[in-house]
Amino acid sequence: MKKSFYLILAFLLLVLAACGSNDASEPATDDAPEEAAESKEVNLYTARHYDVDDELYKKFEEETGIKVNLIKGEADELLERIKREGDGTQADLFLTADAGRLFRAKEDGLLQAVSSDLLDEQIPEKFQDTDQMWYGLTKRARVIVYNKETVTPEELSTYEALTEDEWNGRVLIRGSENIYNQSLLASFIEIDGEEQAKEWAAGLVKNFARDPEGGDRDQAKAIAAGVGDVAIMNSYYFGQMLNSEDPAEVEIAEGLGLFFPNQETTGTHVNISGAGVVKTSKNKENAVKLLEFLSAPEAQGTFAEANYEYPVNEEVEPSELLNSWGEFKEQDIPLSALGDNNAKAILLFNEVGWK
Amino acid sequence: MQRRLANVNIWTVAAIAIIAALFLPNLTIVTGLFTPSNDNWAHMKEFVLWSFVTNSLILVVATAASTILIGLSLAWLIAQYQFPFRRFLKWALILPLSIPPFIGAYTYHGIVNYTGVIQTTLRERFGMELNPAHFDIMNLPGAIFIYTVFLYPYVYTITQVFLSQQSASLIESTRLLGKGPWRTFFQVVVPISRISIIAGASLVILEVLNDYGVVKYYGIQTFTTAIFQSWFGLGDIETSIKLAASLMGFVIVILLIEKILRGRRQYSYSSTKVRPLPLIKLTGWKAFAAAGYGFSILALGFFIPVIQLIDWTVLTFGTIPLDEFMSYIRNSVFVAGFSAAAIIVFALIVGNFARLVQGKLAKLLPKLTVLGYSIPGAVIAVAVVTAFVALDEFLAPLYQLAGLNTTLVLSVSIILLITAYIIRFFAIGYSSIETGYDKIGTDFQDASRLLGAGLTRTFFKVDMPMMKGAIVSGFILVFIDVLKEIPLTLILRPFNFDTLSTKAFQYASDEKIMEASQASLLIVGISALAIIVFYKFLEKELD
Repeated sequence: MKKSFYLILAFLLLVLAACGSNDASEPATDDAPEEAAESKEVNLYTARHYDVDDELYKKFEEETGIKVNLIKGEADELLERIKREGDGTQADLFLTADAGRLFRAKEDGLLQAVSSDLLDEQIPEKFQDTDQMWYGLTKRARVIVYNKETVTPEELSTYEALTEDEWNGRVLIRGSENIYNQSLLASFIEIDGEEQAKEWAAGLVKNFARDPEGGDRDQAKAIAAGVGDVAIMNSYYFGQMLNSEDPAEVEIAEGLGLFFPNQETTGTHVNISGAGVVKTSKNKENAVKLLEFLSAPEAQGTFAEANYEYPVNEEVEPSELLNSWGEFKEQDIPLSALGDNNAKAILLFNEVGWK
Repeated sequence: MQRRLANVNIWTVAAIAIIAALFLPNLTIVTGLFTPSNDNWAHMKEFVLWSFVTNSLILVVATAASTILIGLSLAWLIAQYQFPFRRFLKWALILPLSIPPFIGAYTYHGIVNYTGVIQTTLRERFGMELNPAHFDIMNLPGAIFIYTVFLYPYVYTITQVFLSQQSASLIESTRLLGKGPWRTFFQVVVPISRISIIAGASLVILEVLNDYGVVKYYGIQTFTTAIFQSWFGLGDIETSIKLAASLMGFVIVILLIEKILRGRRQYSYSSTKVRPLPLIKLTGWKAFAAAGYGFSILALGFFIPVIQLIDWTVLTFGTIPLDEFMSYIRNSVFVAGFSAAAIIVFALIVGNFARLVQGKLAKLLPKLTVLGYSIPGAVIAVAVVTAFVALDEFLAPLYQLAGLNTTLVLSVSIILLITAYIIRFFAIGYSSIETGYDKIGTDFQDASRLLGAGLTRTFFKVDMPMMKGAIVSGFILVFIDVLKEIPLTLILRPFNFDTLSTKAFQYASDEKIMEASQASLLIVGISALAIIVFYKFLEKELD
């Protein structure tokens, strides 16, 4: 009897404690928009959830005294929220891990142009929006990984070659609802046109080792398990597996080779993380400062070291691991094409039955 | 009952206001039914809609069937028999509810995949050649398994409480008449617990229809996938709302079926003395089988995934600073506790209204509020933001008077998030409260009123004491659900507001399931604590 009473009491106290502390912190955020507008804050809506990002924001706060307020979510849902909040939105900067979403944000009129000599210096034109509505911050390559025991790199050449008969039942890739695949197909639509892109998708489906399931890492594991021989995945996942806390994952990654496809032809597909200043931003200057900070050598180095992403800043050496994979030729298309062709890509996936 | 109607005013007003507030944001979705269809809709219909619908139907039907089978059989074992560990199992069997299905899905995949403990052990210890296809859980049967082991407690809890509290006389009479256990089960237990079985199963069905995490990771295309694809992929919110509206239509059909199945039958207490059922003692292999069955289910739904989470936590311990976790815990417990309390208060008002007012419309009206549970979280989120921005615009002159230079106040506050939770989870609290009201019926109410007590006085003095069990169970169920919730929390939280579930989800969606395990384990721990409190309370109630 007594025990249950104390349990209930403990539970209620826990709830109360939570309420109390929350009330205490509330006034600070309530006053914020009024007092601190155009001064010591920047409000960031971000679709990147990496711990390394948080560390960089902390560093930015220490250096500039500008507080970074965060809402982390899924890119599309954050966009929808900014849209619905309209002119009153508190968002200053929208950050996401896909060029297609940046394009969509621009199309929807949610972003504004900014000009900064420092940004132009640190970020190559190729990774900027043509109207300077958004800037790329890191790159990731969508590469082919292969089983070192059953495949030699000489057998590999292009994404397109994976549709040939010799790869029947050997190709692994995740589902079509995934943005990385959508952007990949969108890039082919841009380069080869819709018909050929559709043929490629249909050809790959024909060669699938199994129906798509799981994430990028799961494709690598399926190679180790002998389900297939090659997988298309993002470069940084491979880096993460090599540095995993789980020894089994490290072992798997060590048994795999990484190959940059289409080196002789159109180049390896590359996507970016990037950010744009929101049209109605009330802390525009701070937002630009944050962009400058994130594209400066120090932050760029951290992205490469801790998250195995390629820096966009050409001044910065990629990390040792990234260097060990070698240099590669990138697809040469305007990144906005990824967004432009996104819906088409989804429809094509549905038509060819890529689950 | 003229008197009953005459006095109903303030309750009616309050109840209708609550129903309207919960339903209005969803109106944006209902209107989607009437917009003309476009090319994307035609495309969906031609290529994918059919497989989305069949997958969803298979998931729903199979999961409902298996959760009823497991939930009801366990409830019956616990309510009717005495066997070793019964007291422990009685509450422990609710524990799987503390694990969010998407975490469970990741965890089980982690266990059975190539680098998981099972395959690694078989390979390295026993040198076995394995066919990985045999260990594949990322498919339709796998998803049904996940939903079943983590959601069956909805059926189990509601049915078990009902059976244990049900006046023993019905079942005892059957026994006295010499019917065997099987006939008792099918001819008496199943029919009388029909209401709670259906209540539990509908929660399971709605949960499955709404889930996105499990099916997304397992690569299963469902109706919810279609909604997300058309909205976010194609940027076509109209088609997406059309799909969400169709889903809502489907849920309305389910609710109507429930209504029809329930019919006019009511099983309320006929006397004030509620005697628990005297337990039949099992011995020998029967006792062993009963305990074994309970423990197997508990192992699948709780111990196995928790052990895996602990293992991962140990591997990654220290990667996240502990003081950050304190703030996640505070935030999580605060929103969950506050929302659950609000929902229970509202549910009591609406439930009382539905009970006291006669007429079909009054009975059906509260059902509308349940719709929030049928719409995918992300869609609710946008509906709620839209409603709040409109409200803010309406209130803008007031804000100006107060000296604020912003137009958005409510829609960037925590109130937005909590409102969304209330809309989303009202059904959970309400079904608990409704079952409670069903059980006490109106006889005591009538007696109290005849003796001259007013409606409100009766409510507090007569109804409330009998409703304690339902209130506590409703509160805990909502509390746990909010704790586990994902899409709403992700989209609607204010700046710098992380909860345990957003943290777990973010790691998981970056394919860092090991790092996600720490936050997941805390969700499980807090939910488990809540379940223990709930159980202790119920036990005291029944003593």
